[in-house]
Amino acid sequence: MIGRVAWLLARPGTAGAAASALPITAFAIVTALLLTVLGGAQSFWSWSGDVGVTYQALAVVALVLLVVPLASLGGAAARLSARRRDDRLATLRLLGATPATVSALAVIESVVLAVVGALAGVALYFVLVPLLALIPFRGEALGIEGVVLAPLTILGVVLGVALLAIVSAVLGLRQVVISPLGVRTKQDAPKLHWLRIVIGVAVIALAFLVMSVLQVAGSAMLILAMLGAAFGGSIAVLNLIGPWVIRLVAQSQAKQAKVPARLLAARAVLESPKAAWRQVSGVAMTSFMAVFAGVGIALLGSFGEAADAESQELFADIRTGILITVVGSFLMVACSVGVNQAAGILDRGELYRSLGMLGMPTPTMDAARRRAVMSPLRITAIGSAVTAAIVMLPLTGLTIIVAPLSLAVIAGVLAAGIGVVWLGLLATRPMLERAAATN
Amino acid sequence: MSSFVIEASGLSKSFGQTHALAGVDLQVRTGESLAIMGASGSGKTTLLHCLAGITRPDTGTVAFQSGAGRVDVTALSERERSRLRREAYGFVFQQGLLIPELTAVENVALALMLNGMPRLRAEEYGRGWLAALGLAGMEDRRIGQLSGGQAQRVAIARAQVTGASVVFADEPTGALDSTTSAEVMRALLDSTTGQGRTLVVVTHDADVAGRCSRIVDMRDGRIVGERVPGVSA
Repeated sequence: MIGRVAWLLARPGTAGAAASALPITAFAIVTALLLTVLGGAQSFWSWSGDVGVTYQALAVVALVLLVVPLASLGGAAARLSARRRDDRLATLRLLGATPATVSALAVIESVVLAVVGALAGVALYFVLVPLLALIPFRGEALGIEGVVLAPLTILGVVLGVALLAIVSAVLGLRQVVISPLGVRTKQDAPKLHWLRIVIGVAVIALAFLVMSVLQVAGSAMLILAMLGAAFGGSIAVLNLIGPWVIRLVAQSQAKQAKVPARLLAARAVLESPKAAWRQVSGVAMTSFMAVFAGVGIALLGSFGEAADAESQELFADIRTGILITVVGSFLMVACSVGVNQAAGILDRGELYRSLGMLGMPTPTMDAARRRAVMSPLRITAIGSAVTAAIVMLPLTGLTIIVAPLSLAVIAGVLAAGIGVVWLGLLATRPMLERAAATN
Repeated sequence: MSSFVIEASGLSKSFGQTHALAGVDLQVRTGESLAIMGASGSGKTTLLHCLAGITRPDTGTVAFQSGAGRVDVTALSERERSRLRREAYGFVFQQGLLIPELTAVENVALALMLNGMPRLRAEEYGRGWLAALGLAGMEDRRIGQLSGGQAQRVAIARAQVTGASVVFADEPTGALDSTTSAEVMRALLDSTTGQGRTLVVVTHDADVAGRCSRIVDMRDGRIVGERVPGVSA
């Protein structure tokens, strides 16, 4: 019976083919990016010796940094996939379907969409492989054999994406199972406490102190531990105060808004500052890392001119790695924003249409949703970069003097990343125009 | 000057093989409350959309008599029709369709801000309308914190705040219980015809239609009857 109902639900609904195509596309992007990142990292594992270990350690750092935006994108894809069925599954509950039937249907649909998307992602990954192979490390391109993953690894990623979809479907649809009307209920966003900012400032000050006394540390292990503590503590603080700062800025913007688009954008952010933060939090870590590591590498590069050729090559490769990680992170955030926006437009289709009927120009609606994403993104990217600059303050000042070009490149990449996210938003504009069309 | 605020003639509209309107002629008098009744699929919402300039009919014309003169709505571009709807008309929908993240007063003020009014003044007008509709003290509540009837009165305030000369309401009480429905309808009539404005209501509820000054009945995309409530046909 479940199979027959699942087949019936698989037919396109009122939202059209987009409702199925969007989650499939999102899962495809998640899979392709995950495989690309793993492929790039894998190439370092074929290297041996001390330098090989250094590259492997750096690859692990880059992977960890990319996990956050990737998880955010994966979550967005899974939520989008789950949301398109919410109403129909709630209706089935009203008709008397058991919670077990509804859960089974949710899982079946999610897995089918995720697997179809993941397979498309595998194909996309193979298209990207020749480009990935061109990236130079240790003076030569990585090469196709270095970046092509083993079939078992690819299968593992496909199964992982399917598992992500299952977990999200079960978690997301718990409320449908608990109450058939559950999906319709909406609660106010919880307030965020000011204590967060106090703790945040204290940790940043502590990190600054740790970085200031770095040179007095007796051993390399202690220096590494202090660096790790300053880096990890600051990253944790970003997650702690990020939503708070976003809410604070949005509150001020809502009060000062003079035109509809600004008011709508600020209120949309205030609806859930945590969701706004979650969407762009991947950028926080990479922006922080870009400045934190970028300053260090720029200084080492400047003062280490006497260093041997191998060290010089390592510095250049770390710079390349930082840039790739930042670009990858922004690409994932851009995809995540695109997926979330597409889901939002589908969810609010009736409201957009009614606003169109009232005579609200589509550019006003578009400007509102763009601001609702770009404002938190700017706060996050710039705020994280500034936090890193503060933690590294004496070194940041020195870098501005001795290696201004390195910092300019980092700033340029961050600006380009913000531009990529803006393009992601632009890509969903036709959907909005269709949703708001009155004819 | 014509005593008709809206004059429609020969309206036809098809969606694929479905003929939603099949040659409708209708005049709406200034200051009247007109109910358009009919079963589901009779074409009443399509007619309202054509009268309001939301949808362009396949054939026929709709003329709007404004203070500045007569406007052929069907000849206007999409942008011009949007502007007309923003400035001269007001809308109340079945579900209210208010913006959930805005407060009550912001929802109302938004209609004026879209026409270029500064926010402070727009909110001042908005508060006035909300108070007039019995929502004083609820201005800063978000839509989710209001009952269905209160939300619908916010929608009425939004429709009225621009000084719209015609208010179009599509099943404005469709999602409400009978007591709240009567209250909302009274608020809608008081704030429109009570102020010399015109109200066009699409409804399948005989009680709602019975409170209007004129009723037209539709079937299969045509007007099949016209009556005055309380007077036998």
